[in-house]
Amino acid sequence: MESSQSTAPVELILRAQRGEPDAQRELIVAYQHRVAGFVYAIIGRSDSIEDIAQLIFIKMVRAIDRLQAPAQFESWLFRLARNTCIDHLRRQKLRRIFTPFAPEHENVPEPSGAVGSEELDALRHALDQLRPQDRALLALVQEGRSHAEIAVTLRSSVAAVKARLHRAREHLREHYQSPHEN
Amino acid sequence: MKTETRAWEQLQRHASAQLRPGFADRVVRAARAGAEAVPSLFSIFALSAATAALCLLAVTLFNTTSRDTDESDFNLAGWQQIAADSEEFAVNL
Repeated sequence: MESSQSTAPVELILRAQRGEPDAQRELIVAYQHRVAGFVYAIIGRSDSIEDIAQLIFIKMVRAIDRLQAPAQFESWLFRLARNTCIDHLRRQKLRRIFTPFAPEHENVPEPSGAVGSEELDALRHALDQLRPQDRALLALVQEGRSHAEIAVTLRSSVAAVKARLHRAREHLREHYQSPHEN
Repeated sequence: MKTETRAWEQLQRHASAQLRPGFADRVVRAARAGAEAVPSLFSIFALSAATAALCLLAVTLFNTTSRDTDESDFNLAGWQQIAADSEEFAVNL
């Protein structure tokens, strides 16, 4: 994910808050790829990306008029995205309790090499070993968010974010095996 | 660490490619259609109040009707008893 991300101008956000469909569309276009990457990092499945991204943006359109500080739009949007992804994973876990299918039947993993290079497979495998909250944290860092911005997004302190990030990176390194290293 | 950075970039590209063209238009349409379909708080309260009033009316009606029926049965039985007693009295005369 690129760290030099463009931010939506406040004027565009204000227009979207007034309910202008063109402004809402522009906002979605501006953020759809970043949100898709963020979703994929947390969910780990290609076939769910569009559905979950759509859910996130629908929530955004419906709730944007309640956003008090347009300057904090990005933190707000990625908090919305993170919570939606984690809710989705929780619901999936809960559903498995009530359905007779075993997890391996419902959640067939994408085969290695099916979605990209060995490097991507290695990263997906490593991310899969982490907790969703840690995956979200790493995805926020890849989004180019500063520790302070992540703290705002997660409603946490900067010190707590640094500590959790350190642990998440350690875990990722433990499980990430670069294909070039083998 | 460079390969990891490359992998994150690939992850981003792969994820972006999963969004079909016209994604933003579909989202805006879905958001608007959903917003229209969602009932207002007032209509939810109005429907709840109407349902509660109907239920109360039904219970009251049922209660009144059943009480009236019981009373009629009691009265009828009383009159039947009086009629039988009168007939018996007339026969004995």
